[in-house]
Amino acid sequence: MPITLVNPLNETLAQPATPAPRLAALHGKTIALLDISKPGGNVFLDRIEHLLKERHGVAGVLREMKPTFAKPAPQGVLEKIRSADAVIEALAD
Amino acid sequence: MLRLMAFLQTDCPTCRLIAPYLNTLSNGGARVTGVSQDGELATQEFAHQMDTRFPIQRDPDFELSRRFDVLTVPTLYIVDEHDRIVRQEPGFDKNALNEIAALFGCPPVAGPYDGAPASKPGCTSRHLEAQTADAPAAALDFQSTRGAKASTIELADSEDPYEYCYRAFGDALPVVPPTRERIEKMLRATDLNPRQVIARIPPCYGEATVEKIAANAVMAGCVPEMMRVLIPLVRAVSDERFNAHGVQATTHFAAPLIVVNGPVRHELVFHCRQNVFSNVVRANSTLGRALQLILLNLGGARPDAIDMSALGNPGKFSYCIAENEEENPWAPLHVDAGLAREQSAVSLLAAEAPHGVSEHNARTARGVLKSIGYALATVWNYRFCMAFEALVVLGPEHVRTIHRDGFSKSDVRQFLFENTGVPLRCYREEEPGEGMQQRPLYKEITIDGEPCYQKFRAPESIKIVVAGGTAGKFSAVLGSWSTGARGSQMVTYPI
Repeated sequence: MPITLVNPLNETLAQPATPAPRLAALHGKTIALLDISKPGGNVFLDRIEHLLKERHGVAGVLREMKPTFAKPAPQGVLEKIRSADAVIEALAD
Repeated sequence: MLRLMAFLQTDCPTCRLIAPYLNTLSNGGARVTGVSQDGELATQEFAHQMDTRFPIQRDPDFELSRRFDVLTVPTLYIVDEHDRIVRQEPGFDKNALNEIAALFGCPPVAGPYDGAPASKPGCTSRHLEAQTADAPAAALDFQSTRGAKASTIELADSEDPYEYCYRAFGDALPVVPPTRERIEKMLRATDLNPRQVIARIPPCYGEATVEKIAANAVMAGCVPEMMRVLIPLVRAVSDERFNAHGVQATTHFAAPLIVVNGPVRHELVFHCRQNVFSNVVRANSTLGRALQLILLNLGGARPDAIDMSALGNPGKFSYCIAENEEENPWAPLHVDAGLAREQSAVSLLAAEAPHGVSEHNARTARGVLKSIGYALATVWNYRFCMAFEALVVLGPEHVRTIHRDGFSKSDVRQFLFENTGVPLRCYREEEPGEGMQQRPLYKEITIDGEPCYQKFRAPESIKIVVAGGTAGKFSAVLGSWSTGARGSQMVTYPI
């Protein structure tokens, strides 16, 4: 006799998202720099900000910070970085 | 004379959060009345589970809710003898609770490190929910709590069901095939609708319907009666304070440790003695394993993908202990969390593996606790202070020595807090290292004449449980993951 199993896996599938279009050049673009609040993240992003402005002529840099690296970014932070053309995130220590 | 009216809903997490604080206010002499916006049965269950020490009246037609213009629950109203509202406080807020306590001449009721967040918004008042729908509130169809029916898989006769399940559903160990018959038996042990969504499990937020929980419980080898523990456990692990999203995805060692308290230990034969962290009985092993399978299969934190732990934790097979309340001369863990002793409960802590503390020669409480303090001092990293908690699992022999010297549980916590630190000389090296940057936040204390930084933020950062066998002078220290509102907080749920 065939055995019938009840599926124990998650069956609520997430909608696939399309990746944002990639930038051909950085000149004139606004770049968001997201610090996830790990120690040292600001050191890395300060340097990136400097390079973006000096070498790549970006229109502006938007600095945002997650209140904690241990949780997803709150909606307010996401809303603010949404206006940028690209985001660079400093992940680790 | 002032009185306090608390508008509540039985399924609102913030209302459950605030209930023990209202109990404390009521016990302290404040005139507290609860106003439930839910039905009689749900209100009775809420009162029983939360061990409420204040009367709760119902508001069947939302007459009171409308009169007070309640927007969210919980909302606390302080009313004077002329029925005038002198203060109203929506949601949960520790500062507000302490100010309200002062109004009633009570001491502060909400400490900063009791595991609860400083504040938390509530839910929309039921009578306003009704205004946004066509149906009256009592007939609201909670669509969002109704999940899809699980699909079924028919195996060919030639297929070995154990091999199939091992490939398709398990972790690295075989599982019991979740046949329809076994699931039905499991579902008969609960009154809940199989399609009811109990929680959405982080980090992928899969719907944990009663049926899906039952399927994973079958695979773990649980007896049907375990459903009554699994339902609150699934709620607890999805509690935002526990932050399973972070716990399951971190590179750190943390795994959810389950601590079982109360009469359910005897009713379902949980083990709390010799070899408590090991493979002794079915209840501990299968409950821990069921939680792990639920986190894996519904939460999606696969150890080869989203679960990024660098070294992992053997507790990810199963990590469940019960407290040895019979050998505990003090209040057990769930009573510390504000529940009644006779209330069964599960607590969850994002914990590292146990670190053993052997101390066979100390004859005093001080001697035993000094040994434990030195183990506590190296939790996370020897120079990092203040950012985490620890669970101390005291073995019964150590408990006897400590208790004989007249120490209460809070004395134990206070002693460990005051005598656990890192000598200042450890910070003189030029070499940068973890815990150096945060030095401006640390507090300097003196331990045995030596200047030290205090290891923990508060005595409450040190959680205490009694467990293990009565032969052998051992205890264990378990470090936590990042804690507080920025990390994962211990949660305790009534069963």
